Formats: sequence, structure tokens, C-alpha cells
Amino acid sequence: MDIIKVENLCFDYVTTDDEGKILEKNTALKNVNLTVPEGQFLAVLGHNGCGKSTLAKHFNAILTPTSGKVIVDGIDTSDEERLFDIRRTVGMVFQNPDNQLVATIVEEDVAFAPENMGIEPKEIRRRVDEALKQVDMYEFREHAPHQLSGGQKQRIAIAGIIAMQPRCIVMDEPTAMLDPKGRREVMKTIKRLNKEQGITVILITHYMEEAAQADRVVVMDDGSVLMDDAPRKIFARADELRAVGLDVPQVTELCGLLAKRGVNISREIIFEDECAKAVSQLPLKSKTAVFEKKQGEKAVNADIIAKLENLTYKYSVGTPFEKTAVDNVELSIAKGEFVGIIGHTGSGKSTLIQHLNGLIKPTSGTVYVDGKNIWGKDVNIRDIRFKVGIVFQYSEHQLFEETVAKDIAYGPRNMGLSEEEITSRVNSAAESMGITHLLEKSPFELSGGQQRRCALAGVLAMDPDVLILDEPAAGLDPKGRDRILGLIKQYHVQSGKTVLLVSHSMEDIVKFATKVLVMNKGSVFCYDETDKVFERSGELVSIGLDVPQITRFSQMIKKFGVDIGDDIYTVDRAAQRLLALI
Amino acid sequence: MIKDITIGQYFPGNSVIHKMDSRVKLVLDILYLVILFTAQKFTGLLVGMLFMVICYLLSQIKFIMILKSIKPILPLMVFTAILNLLFLKGETPLFSWWIIEIYPEGIRTSAFMLLRIIALIVGMSLLTYTTSPIMLTDAIERLLSPLKKIRFPVHELSMMMTIALRFIPTLVEETDKIMSAQKARGAELDSGNIFQRAKALIPILIPLFVSAFKRANELATAMECRCYHGGEGRTRLRQLHTAPRDYVAIAVMVALLGAVITLNFIPIIP
Repeated sequence: MDIIKVENLCFDYVTTDDEGKILEKNTALKNVNLTVPEGQFLAVLGHNGCGKSTLAKHFNAILTPTSGKVIVDGIDTSDEERLFDIRRTVGMVFQNPDNQLVATIVEEDVAFAPENMGIEPKEIRRRVDEALKQVDMYEFREHAPHQLSGGQKQRIAIAGIIAMQPRCIVMDEPTAMLDPKGRREVMKTIKRLNKEQGITVILITHYMEEAAQADRVVVMDDGSVLMDDAPRKIFARADELRAVGLDVPQVTELCGLLAKRGVNISREIIFEDECAKAVSQLPLKSKTAVFEKKQGEKAVNADIIAKLENLTYKYSVGTPFEKTAVDNVELSIAKGEFVGIIGHTGSGKSTLIQHLNGLIKPTSGTVYVDGKNIWGKDVNIRDIRFKVGIVFQYSEHQLFEETVAKDIAYGPRNMGLSEEEITSRVNSAAESMGITHLLEKSPFELSGGQQRRCALAGVLAMDPDVLILDEPAAGLDPKGRDRILGLIKQYHVQSGKTVLLVSHSMEDIVKFATKVLVMNKGSVFCYDETDKVFERSGELVSIGLDVPQITRFSQMIKKFGVDIGDDIYTVDRAAQRLLALI
Repeated sequence: MIKDITIGQYFPGNSVIHKMDSRVKLVLDILYLVILFTAQKFTGLLVGMLFMVICYLLSQIKFIMILKSIKPILPLMVFTAILNLLFLKGETPLFSWWIIEIYPEGIRTSAFMLLRIIALIVGMSLLTYTTSPIMLTDAIERLLSPLKKIRFPVHELSMMMTIALRFIPTLVEETDKIMSAQKARGAELDSGNIFQRAKALIPILIPLFVSAFKRANELATAMECRCYHGGEGRTRLRQLHTAPRDYVAIAVMVALLGAVITLNFIPIIP
């Protein structure tokens, strides 16, 4: 039985003036046809603006078709009288967990939907308890939402939907704003609901590894369905996917590369374990890759730009909430380095970087920038902030001016520069972020990726010696990610400035960083060259970090007796080592 | 950190006070305020305060929380005390210097006012410490529900209160983040004259408003997805029931009112 049936669906976003005259018409969906059988786990992929969220909003009548039909469990969604029947059949979970929770106590929030449905209090209590148990949050039932982590909040949002006892749940990028741990928790919950409760799941995502776990993948582009098949069939078409701004899992990419070089391996491999198995069954000349271990480059006497000595920071000192966020950290960062900083939420990495430009004053210890103690008597802390620029997570939230140009000029203007200097800095910052054509627009009419780049330009315009970026690619689609990270790399190469990149995603870090700092529980776990750090990838996994899929693969094939080295973190390197063995 | 503010914060618990019907608690708290304003004598106030101390013991809320609740209104208390001290005239000044004259009546009144404000805040805090905001809005909604007959939007009002309470911590955190981001771009928030300071707030307030509207929009969609359609036909998870303890509490409170009034009429008691 089909739970959702979409027939020739077209949808236009229409802006009208007061008299109903059409001012603007944007076509979001063009003739979409799709059926979703009950119990399926369907993943929808597509770059930002391809119409996937618009499609999702049709599944529970938040939007109704301009033309065509959407049938949910036999009910036409344009039938207004059955609106609530539709909404209780198809529940919806959104990206930002904070903006879905209504009540101040977890269980009250989960009860919100059943209360609206007018269900008996006793039955509500039963449903709330059951829903909370299903998402593994029962013991948090009396907490306030703001005391929970992102992943926990998102599971509460899911529980709030389950309490309606829907037959289908639509999730619009539910993991986009979460850290790797939260993402794993939510994915586990989604899969359990699908497998054990038989609830149909429609998951919109930007993460290829999540889509790989689905029963079926639909790829959307420009308002229509481009591909619709099993995940392995979809990912085998890597070139077509890249053409629409998407990606494939790393092991699929590896198999593609090997197959291109004449190796007899399936292109339809999406998980690291099956890839390891397939590789081990290849006729190999030898089982151990011989490669030159990169010698640690002799430490060139590089100038130190920033140095932390015995740095300790405690939150809420003297209250019961006292917590050591950074514990006795020693660190020197050389001029011109590209340092990746990694660690899970609460490892102290965000607190650490805010010490470098004096946003946070250490509880004890000293911070040196360019040889000077930044809390010394002769130092104005504002000068340090111009020297060490920080771009925060979701930096687009700091935009406020009428035009992009004015917003970028905010930092330089605070520095007291001349108008000419400001204009030239705005222009060069805009150029390095590729937004010159947007300078006269309002920052609020830009797309998410453009806003992010505009905020970045605002910090670059201060021409800092050290640029610190906190999760610059968070929440963007694969294309937006590559774009912004590519621009940052380009800036680093051209300017020769020191760059610190904080991220949860090792894939992002290893692409560019020359050195990696791993933080764990407020202390430095290790700080070394990227290769050296990855030689300890087993340890990284044991402290709960997410290593790239290709690294997991390289560890897995060891079980099959094949050794391609410990320092595998890019697909190219893995392919190179494997080809040498074949 | 701004997050540490406690006024209006709820501490979950299982005490008698926690378990009381929130409607009764709210009404009794108002009655307690009435008692404080009826009391004309120190003894009356002290009886009221003693009663509150017992309530705190029953509720198992730590006494340190009393101090925490008083802290934010300390400037107001000092201000009232000084005003009373300086401007209340009696017959013979106790102390006089330049234009300042202090009378015993002034000292008495300012001490009385101080005690009254403390008792008031401590009493109000107990209500918010032991009643979850949702129970409180629930209580207000139900107590006001007769007003629905004259088309007063009772449900809407309580929904707005709930959402406001839910989003205060979120927006506080957001403000913190935006402030850090603008400071990192050289914003000067704590120097300059009042106009410069007000102008420096623009880069904080605009992003905050933009984000609040965005949140509001997303929340509205999420609520629609969960079948929200106003107060009509809505049931509640928590049912409010009055239990014997509530009647005991009412009786105690009425007795307290009686005692305080009686004290007012007994001449020898200070």
C-alpha cells in the first residue's frame, strides 16, 4: 500500500501585491511524480534550492499543489476538511531542533500534539512515556529543553511527532545542525523507528553516508526528480551526482577510481566493510603496501605567532555549576601554518579559540600573540581582536547592515581606517570570497552559502594576521562546503596568513590542514602534522571522534590481512597505495 | 554568565509544596501578598516571614536560593530604604547634618519596607521555584477562563507566555553569541556616552530580531505540523486536581491572615 502518492505535482512560490496582482513567480517544483510504499526508508538528496524542502512540505499539507495532486493515505491534501487527519498521518521534523520545541519541559512538549488532537489525559500520558522511551530520552522527561544537547533536542522533537502515532515521518535535514555524536543518535533512532515500528521515513539529507543507509534514494535537481533507485545504484553514477552538486561516499569514490584504472571491482559499493571485503578478494601481488614514511620536516625556525602557556579556564567559578573547560593547555602556533582543530562538543575547542583574541580572559595562564602578553598593561585588547580574527559558527547570524558592502566595512570602520582604505579592503575581501557582484545587495536577500561568505569577508577585511574559523561549512550542502573551504584554502595560499580551522568533520580538516590539534576533555590530546596524527587514528576513534570513512576502511582491511598504512585519510592516497599492490 | 539568573527558575521536586495544585498555589501566593500589605506591625511581618521559612523547609529548596532571589532587586531595596530614611519626617530628628535629617520614624519605616520587600520577593520566588512555568501558565489560563465568555483570549495569552518562557534561554544564548561575534569585529559595547552605546547596540539588536522572526516562523510551521489549531477542543496532559493538602493550605493561609489582622489591633505588640 502506498502511503504517499504524488501525481504531476507543480508548485510556484507567488508574491502578490495588495490587489492580488502577481509580482513575482518562482517555480519550485516541476511535474513531480513519486510514490512511497508504506514502511520504506526513503532518502531525498539534492543541493540547496533544488525543491526538496518544498516537496516535503507537500506531504503533510503545509503547502498545497499549484497543480497536480498529493494523496496521503488515500486523502487528497487539498481537502481542507481532512487537514488534521493528514497531519497526524504524516509528521514532520525540521532542521533546527530549538525552533520546534514549544514547551518548557520535555514531557509537556511531547504532549503538545496529542493535546491538540483532544486525546484523553490518560492516553496522552501513555503515549508520551512510550514516545520518550522509543527515542531513549525517558529519563530526561522533566528537563528543560535548553539543558539538552542538540542531538537530544532533536530526539525530543521526534518523540513529539511519534506521540501522534503517525504512519510516516518526514525529516528535513534533521542532522544538519548536530555534531557527529548527535547525528549518530538521531540516525539510530530513525532507523529503529523504521525497522521496529514499521514507520515510513522520508529523510532529506546532505550527508551521503546517511542516504546510503536508506532503502531507496531520490535525487532532485531544479524542481524535478532526477534519479530514483536503490542507494548503491545511485552512488554508482558518481559523475552525474557531482554534476548536480552532490557527492558519493568515500569508498564508492575509491572503487570508482580503481575501476577506472582497470581493476575488476564493483562500483556499487557504499559501505566500508563490503569495500574491505571486495578489496581483499582482488588478486593482489602483495598484501603490504611499501611506502616511504614521510619524515617529519625538520622544524624550520618559524616565528611563533600565537602561544598559550598553562592556560586554564573555568566556567561559573564559585557556583555549583563550576566546570573546567580548558585545562592547562600549552600550545605554540607558527606563522603561516594551517591548523585544523578537532574534538567533540565540550572538548574545549571553542573556549580555546576565544582566548586567542581576548574574548575570554583565562582563569590562569598566559596568552601571547606576536610575542606580547595580550592581557599585559601596554596592550589594548581591541588591537588584538583586529590582529586575530574569529569567524564564529553560523556566522551569517552576525549580519546586520543594509548592504553587503557596509556590513563588510563594519570591522575596518571600527579600526578607524580612512574611507579609501576601507573601500579597498572591502573590495579585496569581497573578491577573495567571490561576492563582488553582491556588494550592493542586502545581506538578508542572499542564499545561506552567500551569507556565510559575506560574514567571512567581514572578518577578512580587518586583514588579521591570524584567521580563526569555527565550523565554517556547518549546515551547507556539499557544493557550498567545497566552495567555502576552497576559498579559505585559496586565501591561505595567497595571503600566507595563519589559519585555524575548527571542525567536527575530519574530512574538511584533512583536505587542507598542515597540522592538526586534537582536543579531548579540555586538554590537548595531540598536536602534530596531519600524517602523524592519523597514524594514531585508532586512538582517535577510541576518544569518540569520527574519522573519515576511508580511514575506517583502511583499518578494516587489516582484518583481511591487507595493510596499506595507517596514514590514510584521503581517497587519492588509498587508491595510490592499493594500485601499487595490484 | 547571563544563564545563571534564577528568578523565575523552576527546581523540580516532590515536596508537598511542589505537589500542590498550581491554581491554589497562585491564589494563595496572592493572598500572601495581601497579608504582607495588611500587616502594620513588625510582629505581623515576622509571622508572615516565619511562615515562608517553614514553606521553604517543606519545599526542600535550599536557603541559598532565597539570597539568590533577593540579589537582583538589591538596588531597588537600597533605593527605597534611602528614600524613606531621608524624606520621612517625624517630630524630633535623631541626627541632622546639612540638609539631611533623620528621624526614628524614618528608620522604622525603611526597616519595615525592607522586610516587606524581602518577604514579598521570597514568597513570589517560592511559587516559581516549585511550580513549573507550564503549570503556572496553566493555572493562569484556568483561573482566567471565565473571562472567555467576554471574548478575552485566555488560551492565546497563556500560549504566548509559554513560548516566551521557552525561548528566553535560547535568545539569551543567542545574544551572547552575537555579542562575541561583533566584539570580534571590534565593536565597543561598554565605553562611550549613552548615544554611542545605544548606537553600538544596533549590530546586536538587528541580528537578534532577524533571528527571532525566523525562529517564530519556523516554530509556527512546526506547531501546525503538530495539529495546533488554537485552544478549542484541546486536552491537557496534566490535570489539575485539588487534594486535601490544598484545603489545609487554604485554611492555614486564612488563619495567617486572621492572625496578622488581629496583631494589628493589639496595642502593646510592636
